[in-house]
Amino acid sequence: MRLGVKVDLKKQYKETEINGKKSTKKVFTSTKKAFTSTKKAFTLDISFEMENELVVLFGPSGSGKTTLFKCISGITEPDDGKITVGSKVYYDKDQKINLPIQKRNLGYVFQNYTLFPHMNVRKNIECGLKGWEKEDKEARVAEMLDLLHIEELETRYPSQLSGGQKQRVALARALAPKPGILLLDEPFSALDMGIRTKLAEKIKNLQNKIGIPLLFITHNFEEAFLLADKILILHGGKAQQFGTPEEIFYHPENRHVADLIGLSNIFDEAKVERYDEESKNIILKSEDMRIKVKSQNLKPGDKVSWGIHPENITLLLPDSGSEDHDENIYSAHVNSIINKGPKKRITLKLVRQNKTLIAEVPAQFVDSMKLYAGGLCLVKLETSKVVAFRSL
Amino acid sequence: MLDKIWFPLSLTLWVAAISSILVLCSGVTIAYVFARRDFRGKWLAELFVTLPLVLPPTVIGYLLVILVGRNGVLGQMIFNVLGTGVMFTWQAAVIAAYTVSLPLMVHTAKAAIEGVDREIEYAAYILGKSEFETVLQITLPLAKKGILAGLILSFARAIGEFGATLMLAGNIPGKTNTMSISIYSAFQAGNNELANLLVLILVFMSLLTIALTGRFVGKLEV
Repeated sequence: MRLGVKVDLKKQYKETEINGKKSTKKVFTSTKKAFTSTKKAFTLDISFEMENELVVLFGPSGSGKTTLFKCISGITEPDDGKITVGSKVYYDKDQKINLPIQKRNLGYVFQNYTLFPHMNVRKNIECGLKGWEKEDKEARVAEMLDLLHIEELETRYPSQLSGGQKQRVALARALAPKPGILLLDEPFSALDMGIRTKLAEKIKNLQNKIGIPLLFITHNFEEAFLLADKILILHGGKAQQFGTPEEIFYHPENRHVADLIGLSNIFDEAKVERYDEESKNIILKSEDMRIKVKSQNLKPGDKVSWGIHPENITLLLPDSGSEDHDENIYSAHVNSIINKGPKKRITLKLVRQNKTLIAEVPAQFVDSMKLYAGGLCLVKLETSKVVAFRSL
Repeated sequence: MLDKIWFPLSLTLWVAAISSILVLCSGVTIAYVFARRDFRGKWLAELFVTLPLVLPPTVIGYLLVILVGRNGVLGQMIFNVLGTGVMFTWQAAVIAAYTVSLPLMVHTAKAAIEGVDREIEYAAYILGKSEFETVLQITLPLAKKGILAGLILSFARAIGEFGATLMLAGNIPGKTNTMSISIYSAFQAGNNELANLLVLILVFMSLLTIALTGRFVGKLEV
């Protein structure tokens, strides 16, 4: 039996509120609830399904990630929709079901850990094991301590733990009652880069072991890429795209997604000129430039934006060939070269087109090519790497 | 002489202790409701609880007499149930002390409860704890510093209570003469020796309370 998570909800927040105090006016507009916050009016309107996999919620601040978590966990009641996790219905507006927080059986790791400061690690982990037999309780705590390698912290208090340790205790506490779903709200935001990567790997392994749906909020795209089976991109309370990291990276559906994943060479105002049957490519006209792109459900006449990740630009020596627009090869001036550790960031100005591109190339490569600011080179934009999407 | 000190001292401590226990139970409950619940007329309820803090003690005493006196609404009910009134008894002194010290508890405890991270409480709910369990196991232990401060303040206020007590419990030697009232009586009667002694004891007790506040509340780091 495939039991996954189904979320389809709406939640509306209306303008007014002072200092985060709840002086809420509830306004019912067809199906949505209005809610006050210091921010502008905001509506979360989201729908997705997931299996027992790790889905990363990725989006800018205020895009509704935490609100979504609050709706799933029951801290906030949506205005409309349905949320099911496995065979459990958490919320169903039509059937007037709103399962109390206590009965949802979910794990939630808050951004600031929310460990109980007056209880030691063992007591913290035991908290969710109400009604368990004493031996079972002890065995489960031992299992969690072992799973997260925090045996030696058992008798310590939260104030005696480092950030990474607190994080692991919070995870152990959330997992102890065998939750049906695990929600992690930016669990690494307060940690050093080194620990972040380690913990990210740990969570990935854990997910494989425990086999429950896991939702993970992050601001960090590398983290999202490292962890996710699928990424759900949120912007302005709406899901912009839901897909595997590769799909999102190479086929962003719109400008919001492209911006969020750090696609920096973006050119708007392009149009699909024609479809090339033979190569299954489409040809875009972007002002004074024609460029070939792998077909991505675009039709001739569509207004599009296109772009390419800086690391996907290939540089060739000027004497290795010549400009070939059928192959997306253009000659360019090297405007500047900036050191970025193991990579170099090169600003390129196309010779015959009024366009500037930014490429990121391994430092070694730049050295061996003897590239220098003011010099010439050839730029190749591989058709499979060029990304095109409908303009907003 | 010793008798004239011992009775007021023990009565005062007794009244302050009973009043403080009542203040602790009801004050913390009221504080939690004020801190975590929204309801219609909340501001009015908060105003009502705060009022004794700013009203002159004689006004509080007068209002209490109207309320629990023989002809008062509550007074009649008490008389019907117990067959006796509360006016001019040590219980009346407790009522007076309770009324004036409750706002001190409610305000300090409310601030302490509001200081507990709401997400910590949500984390407890998510782990399956009911609201009542969460209050007992998470919220109150984390707010204990403020609650203890409120308790000590309330106790101190109860020890020093004079105006409302005088109006409600009167000044009956050997029955309702608390320390403050005994000092007043001794002074009126020109018994400066007794007045001095009682004042000295009361000052010492107040100093002790301040010292305890600093010590306990300072130590109770979580």
